[in-house]
Amino acid sequence: MKIKSIHVLLAIIVIIGGGIFLASELDLYNTTKIRTPQKTVEGIYDVIDMRGSHNLEEIEKYYQLPASSVIEAFGLRPDTIPEFFQLKDMKEIFKPVELEGGEYIVETDTVKVFTSLYMKIPYVSDETFYLPEKTVNYLVENDKISGEEKEYWLGHTFKMEYLDSKYLTASEFTRIVVEETEGFVVKGNTTIQELLDSGITEEKFEEVTGFKIPDKTSVSLRDFIIDKGLEFGEVKERFKE
Amino acid sequence: MSKKQSKNKHLIRLAVQIFFLALIILISVNHFRSEQGLAPLLIGNPSLHAVCPFGGVVTIYSYFAEGTFIPKIHQSSITLMWLVLGLTLLFGPVFCGWICPFGTVQEFIGKIGKKIFKKGYNNFIPSVIDKPLRYLRYVILILVVVNTAISAKLMFSNIDPYFALFNIWSSEVTRLSLLVLGLTLIGSLFVERPWCKYLCPFGALLGIFNLFRIVKLKRNEKTCINCKACDRVCPMNINISTSKTIKDHQCISCLLCTDEITCPVSNTLSFSLLESKNPTENSGNDSGVKVKESISGGGK
Repeated sequence: MKIKSIHVLLAIIVIIGGGIFLASELDLYNTTKIRTPQKTVEGIYDVIDMRGSHNLEEIEKYYQLPASSVIEAFGLRPDTIPEFFQLKDMKEIFKPVELEGGEYIVETDTVKVFTSLYMKIPYVSDETFYLPEKTVNYLVENDKISGEEKEYWLGHTFKMEYLDSKYLTASEFTRIVVEETEGFVVKGNTTIQELLDSGITEEKFEEVTGFKIPDKTSVSLRDFIIDKGLEFGEVKERFKE
Repeated sequence: MSKKQSKNKHLIRLAVQIFFLALIILISVNHFRSEQGLAPLLIGNPSLHAVCPFGGVVTIYSYFAEGTFIPKIHQSSITLMWLVLGLTLLFGPVFCGWICPFGTVQEFIGKIGKKIFKKGYNNFIPSVIDKPLRYLRYVILILVVVNTAISAKLMFSNIDPYFALFNIWSSEVTRLSLLVLGLTLIGSLFVERPWCKYLCPFGALLGIFNLFRIVKLKRNEKTCINCKACDRVCPMNINISTSKTIKDHQCISCLLCTDEITCPVSNTLSFSLLESKNPTENSGNDSGVKVKESISGGGK
């Protein structure tokens, strides 16, 4: 039997196209981020594979580090939602600090070191040699570090400062909707609830988006907008108006 | 077969190549839009790593030894790897010749090279250097797979010109990969598919399947008129006219050499599933060998 171009084309459609369809049905074609960190030879999840995209709920799930401990140790708002707070969000909360002539940003690697100390999981960082004073105090108070380790970290602390001065005093978690003199800014992860809390009325929401407020207001505005087939950038601008 | 019909057959592969190239460009654009807070167009926002079957190869050790993927690799890469391997087992490296967007880009640039250098194109490298260099991609394949298994990191993306090309706006792209990309694109003006020939580790793996692919590329010695049109048109410089069954590890199953597109004699050079019969049996009333109206080829 002679095979021609058309047969190869059909084979591509059937094998690749059909294979992808079948795999999708069997949940074997996941093109989004794989959330599960890799394990060490001891069979525990490796701290090195902790990612900025991991949220506090996932950190608790994989590393058994309670989300409440991270919230308390890093001075996050008590009403921080673990499911939505990603480690990389920290850089939107804390001011960069000057340490030994360089700029240090509190984010994923800081949490890696904290997790390593708190859970006694080996991890050697090549960028975090100082921790926030509040974080070290939390570790000491909870007897998570002792001896030379305790001595080292107590001597290597810095004061954390919030980028948003209203971060601790606002009535709601204002990680995303930042109050400003000229109004408020809607960012990529702003939830619908945060939008409402900032003063947007249900009528205004419907007027701008053309849709009613969903029952689950904890979803991000961006996801909601994209799901409805709208342009996030445009909607964001209209809320700004 | 008329020249027009032959060209139409060639268009099937071109259409497939353009489709996959456009798909990858769309994914790349959607990534960029996503970072700007804009909605993705037409399709979702899958990672470029997620739609590359070679990701499945580099994570294979982690997958089987530890049940996890190396960072940035997704389940879809493993699935695509199996699908592509299945397709390759049947037809040889169809992925390289028909699907791979980076191969397509090189091929398109090569068309400029052909116009500039005419017959000199794709014949610049002396055989004595060219032949051993063709095995370099196996060295790279082994290095990439072993180092990825040891480090559990996606090291190949640091040199991968495919990733650099379709992520050129991203800070994730390394200078080394941009350099490799630049050299490959410039090299494509002189040599057809230089990355595929000498360096591509995935092409190396798929090339092995040419030794035992189910659908074989066969040349009928009895009817071959030794015009060597097949040799001239082959982008991978394979000596097709001297083989009975083409098992060269560099074949990319593009079908350019076959009697469907280039070979001027019907039933002489074709992809076939079973042993080819005597052409006189095949041609029925036409009895004997049928030479095409026009002899095409001379692509190099």
